[in-house]
Amino acid sequence: MGAFNSLIVKIGRGVGGVVGTLYQAGRDSVDTVIRNVIPFMAFISFIIGLILTTGIGDWIAKGLKGSASTLPGLLLISVVCAIPLISPLLGPGAVIAQIVGTLLGVEIGKGNIPAQYSLPALFAINPQVGCDFIPVGLALGEAEPETVEIGVPAVLISRLFTGPLSVVIAYFASFGLYTSK
Amino acid sequence: MNLQSLILLSADVTVDKQTGFLGALATAAEDFIKVFNKGGSVLLSLMGGILPTLIVLLTAVNALVRLIGAERIENLGKAAARPGLQWYPVRYIILPFVAVFVLTNPMAYTMGRFLPERFKPAFYDSAVSFVHPILGIFPHANPGELFVYVGIATGIQQLGFGLGDLAVRYLLVGLVVIFIRGIVTEAITARMMKKGA
Repeated sequence: MGAFNSLIVKIGRGVGGVVGTLYQAGRDSVDTVIRNVIPFMAFISFIIGLILTTGIGDWIAKGLKGSASTLPGLLLISVVCAIPLISPLLGPGAVIAQIVGTLLGVEIGKGNIPAQYSLPALFAINPQVGCDFIPVGLALGEAEPETVEIGVPAVLISRLFTGPLSVVIAYFASFGLYTSK
Repeated sequence: MNLQSLILLSADVTVDKQTGFLGALATAAEDFIKVFNKGGSVLLSLMGGILPTLIVLLTAVNALVRLIGAERIENLGKAAARPGLQWYPVRYIILPFVAVFVLTNPMAYTMGRFLPERFKPAFYDSAVSFVHPILGIFPHANPGELFVYVGIATGIQQLGFGLGDLAVRYLLVGLVVIFIRGIVTEAITARMMKKGA
């Protein structure tokens, strides 16, 4: 009887644990969505509304069409984003990358930028990723202060090479992507 | 066009459009609210489109990570610390992928603590560069910065294409890029440490 009891207790605990974990996971994800995702959606929706209904869209389209639909143009965007003095300023919250990404998405949707450029564009707008966060990120990895001192410029300089390189790789990887229309 | 047809055309119009100052005000008001109507419909399509899937996916992956336990990946971090050529892919492809997938942004960078100092900047560079390429398939890793990917993906969707191709290529190219970033940053760090010492 004692063994049977302990089996029931074991099963009960196990199931309870799994259900509790699932429930907590659901709570976490809804929390994330309400705190982080929906506010950004609201903000992005406003910007898209503004772009689509006013003349701003055409103005941006002219500016982006030239640069975002050729490889040299995308390389230029990536080099600018990777300049060590600019990249930490563009980094925080990836807000700039998200806005530019949305603008490009609108233009791709309208057919002003070829669809296969979506892949290199994703890398062109993002060589600055995390450049604002290097000291904090290294501190999270329990780096010594001397490592942080060297690590910040090392990452920033590295981006100057790897930023444009990532665009080139993505450009070659985009062959055959959405070309048959 | 003769007079008769003009009269016929104008018969269809029931209310004359306001002109002058008040008319301009009315047009301005309509244009003003049009911006927000459009924004509202975009918001609704976003919330109806990706949000339900995102919530379910987030829940599933969060539960999976909790059941596995984040502490299990520590052994991988220790393996990645080893010197030697064959450990480069572990350090700058597998470890960043697993760290970003399991620990998500920004806790993924804590995996750097298993590495020697000279690898830490390169690992951070590698891991932080992966928090966006992963979004196409595993948005739970960085939901706050979803629009780096979703912004462009929305345009692709409007053209009527599937997103799978873009998402997979973004992930794969991302893995190649973080590998190169890791190697380049490690080399630059090594040079700067030598100069400093």
